[in-house]
Parts: sequence; C-alpha cells; structure tokens
Amino acid sequence: MPVIEVSDLRKVYGERTVVDGVSFAVEQGEIFGILGPNGAGKTTTVECIGGLRRRDGGTIRVAGMDPAAEGVAFRTALGIQLQESRLPDKMSVREALDLYASFYPRPHDPNDLLERLGLVEQRSTYFSKLSGGQKQRLSVALALVGNPRVAILDELTTGLDPVARREVWDLLEDLRGTGVTLLLVSHFMEEAERLCDRVVVIDHGRVIAADTPEGLAGSVQADQRMSFTPSGPFDLAVLQALPDVHSATAVGERIMVTGTDNVASAVIIELHERGVSVGRLRVDQPSLDDAFVALTSDDARAAGEEVLR
Amino acid sequence: MSELTPEEYAVAEAQPRINWVAARAMLRSEARLLARNPAVVIWTAILPVAASIVLGAIPGVRAPSKDLGGISFFEVYQPILIFFAITLLAMQALPDVLTRYREIGVLKRLRTTPVSPALLLLAQLTLMLTVSITCMLLMVIVPALVGAPWPHNLGGFVIAYLLGAWAMFGLGMVIASLFHNAKVASGFGSFLFFVLQFFAGLWWQRPNMPDWLRHISDFTPSGAAVQSLTDSSLGDWPSALHLVVLAVWGVVTSRLAVRLFSWE
Repeated sequence: MPVIEVSDLRKVYGERTVVDGVSFAVEQGEIFGILGPNGAGKTTTVECIGGLRRRDGGTIRVAGMDPAAEGVAFRTALGIQLQESRLPDKMSVREALDLYASFYPRPHDPNDLLERLGLVEQRSTYFSKLSGGQKQRLSVALALVGNPRVAILDELTTGLDPVARREVWDLLEDLRGTGVTLLLVSHFMEEAERLCDRVVVIDHGRVIAADTPEGLAGSVQADQRMSFTPSGPFDLAVLQALPDVHSATAVGERIMVTGTDNVASAVIIELHERGVSVGRLRVDQPSLDDAFVALTSDDARAAGEEVLR
Repeated sequence: MSELTPEEYAVAEAQPRINWVAARAMLRSEARLLARNPAVVIWTAILPVAASIVLGAIPGVRAPSKDLGGISFFEVYQPILIFFAITLLAMQALPDVLTRYREIGVLKRLRTTPVSPALLLLAQLTLMLTVSITCMLLMVIVPALVGAPWPHNLGGFVIAYLLGAWAMFGLGMVIASLFHNAKVASGFGSFLFFVLQFFAGLWWQRPNMPDWLRHISDFTPSGAAVQSLTDSSLGDWPSALHLVVLAVWGVVTSRLAVRLFSWE
C-alpha cells in the first residue's frame, strides 16, 4: 500500500488555479521526486500534503491519514524541511536538535543524527555561523529527528555551491534503505537523476509526466550527440551520407555529429576505413535535462494554444 | 530508522493538548536565546530601575509636593517608571521577537511538528512577564530599602500591575499580528510607546494635566494603570473605572490578537 496517495489535488488562489488535478502515489521507502519549473505548483502541492495549506479539491492520504485533519499523529508521521525556513541566529546545532526532539513521542537519538549528517564538529556552533550546506544538513536532521515515516524536502539544494550540494546528496543516498520515504521537491534534474527512484514532472499545476528518471530521459526524441577531433582531414560529406547521421558540422578543429543511437559506432567505423582516427571522443546521452526542457516547452505550447482557443 | 507502530500513533494522538515536556524545552530554549541577546533586557531594565532607585534615595524627592497635588515626586514617578519597563517590553521586545520568528519561518516550521507554535508564543509571554515582574520588584524593593515608602495597599498594587501587564502585552500581541515586517512593527511599537508614556504622565504628570486630557488618559491602558498603581501605593484601592478600563483593554486586545495572529 502506498504511504502517500494524492488524487486529483486542486488548489485555487482567488482566480488562479495553482494545482489542477495532481495525482500520484509513493511507496514506502521510495525516494520520490517532484520536478517542475519555478511557479509550477510544486511547493503548493507539498504544502497541501504537509497539512500547511487547505486543499480545494481531491484527496490526500499520508500513512493512511488526511493532512486536513491536522492531527498530532499525522504530524508525528511526517517530517518537513521547508523552503527558506531558518532558525534563530544564536541557537546551536545541538540545541535545535534537542528542542525538536522534545516535540516527538519517540525521537531519534540526536547524537546518531549528528554523526550521520556530519555535524558532530558543529554541534556547538550557532545557526548563523553555519555554512549553507551545514544549515541544509541541519534542516534534514530536524525533519528526521521525530522518526517520521515520510520526510518532505523542499528545494533542499537550491542556492548551495556544487560541493555543498554533493554533500547533501551523499547524505540522502545514505538514507536510502533506512525505510524512511523521501519526497523531494526540486528543479535540478541532476539531483533527481542521481537520487530519485521515480519522479513526476509538474507544470502549470498538472502532472505532465511520471516515470523513473531513466525512463523519462529515454522517452524524449532527442538525438544522440557526439564530438571528436579527427587525426587528419576528411570530407564531411562522407559522414553526412551515413544513414545514422542527421547532421555533421566542423567547429574549429572539432567535428560535431548528431544522429541515432548508433551514430557513434557508425562514424568511427567509417572514418577508420578511411584511415582517420577519432581523438578526444565525447558522446552525450539525452539527459533528464533534455527531457525536462522538451516536456515543459511542449506543455507551454499546449497551454498557449488553449488560451488562443 | 524504525517507524512508530499503530499503537504508538494512538498514544501520540491521545496526548494531552499541551505537551509539557515540549513546553519546558521551549521555555528553556527561549530563555537561553534571550540571555544571548542581553541588550533587550539591559536597555529595558537599566533606565527605569536606576531612575527609581536614585529617586528613592533622595530625601527631598520623597517629600510631599504642592505642585503635584500633595504627593511626593517619588510617589508620582515610581508607578510611571514601573510601567515604563512593561511598555518597553510589550511594545518593542515582544513584537520584535515574534515578527522575526514569523519572518524566518520558525512559526511555520513549528506548525509541521506535533506541538503548536502557540507554545512558542506562550514561552515568550512567560519570559517577558518574568522580566517585567523582576524589574518591578527591583523598583519597589530597592528604593524601599534606601528609605522610600512601600506600596501601602499591596493587594491593590498587585491587581493593578497584573491587569496593566495584561493590557500591554495584549497590545504588543496585536502589533505582532498586524505587522509582518519586523522593522515596521518595531517602528510602530516605538511610536505607541511614546504615546502611551505621554498618557502615563512621563512628561506631564497626571495631577497637572488639564481635566479634559486627564479624562482621555483615564481611558488609555497606561493612564489607567499608572493611576491604579499610584492609588495603591498611597494606600487606597484603585478606582473601579481604571480597573474596568484595563480589563477591557486586556480582553479586547487578547481576542484581537488571537483572531489576527498568523503563523506565516
């Protein structure tokens, strides 16, 4: 049985429908991603799931409970890291963990969390003196200190530098297999690709795709791209004549080729027969990024057409 | 990390409405934060406490004055200074802390936990009240030890003090509800502080106010509170009018604050 079930969720602010019939289900222990461009309705969706917003339609069940009832048991089952939520400047890491632990009937041992999240050395450091990555790790710790079944993490790595981002990702990977279900809100495709078991893409308040990250990346009709430096001169027309090649151009000394899944081997074999070897080869798979751009721009076009009609 | 069993959830759900373990932890945490930002308390306490001690120590100030309707300068100013401390805490310190907590998302974050953010408000009110009572005790006891009179009607004094504190902290909560920007709240709080101090008689003592102004002052929380404290110090009971005025301010501001206060 899914631990989170959302069906036909709707939320309206005045005239504006922010969430327009979102449905998905998350299994226990999954890392589930909610992706989408800014303003797509991701945060509103998770705030409805977290019981911070009243929904205008649809049903939500978290561990069998309705967030709208706002029961103590519901808030015990759920830990939330909110976007842009801070702590008082002069509260130390350990004090914050102890304080939040006191709210729950059976909290997780704060010492263990400090260790897991790599905050042992910062235990006496004031919140205002922590680095961005440390603040986010503390927020994850606070979301987990109540031993929740589900933790919602909203835009956890936004605004972090690449090193800090990787720190946080490593930490979340370590949580896989502990049984806690993570609902991750992000507009970072790399994050979803690395962490999530499944994702939904939300745009204009609707789910426009739901799949595994790999499935999503594979679903878009994107060309494979390759580029290389040839060992000697040759005629580009030779490559352009190959059935697997869609385009071939020279940029400086590098040759850029796009085509089907087989384009790389076709090009290398063809050039090998002409005595040209391929140096500094690079092949790019269509990524989740490409899928995301393709999906959301299609959706924008569809929305535009709807308005015209 | 293991999850709770259905039985444990039932236990969690059945917990009393106020989680005392959490309430104690919150109070301790807020007290620690206040101690780490001592400027608030120091500035609130030092001026009125020092002034009342100095006034109490000067014999001439303790003599009845014809200019003040037959009571002494000390007797006029001690209640004003006691109320000065409450007003500063209620108009400045309390709204400042609460609007800041709202701004940085602490209140919203607490809403997602099993305890209510109302516990944080209670912890803050408890702390602020403790600080103002401590200031009041210093302003009564220390001058009395150096020769100034004790309040003659202690019961009346305590009632007047508590009703006055209720009205002022209620008003502070309304400020914290109305303004979501900490800087705006603190600006408005300062403005209100001076208005209230004016009606309390800080610059123009109530016995010397023209009748029409004193009547207005009777209906302000600061005017009513200071007069009630003065009456009690002199051995009378506070007048029913002033006590009713304070109670009405207390009820109205508390209800307004409960209705208007938002967590986000």
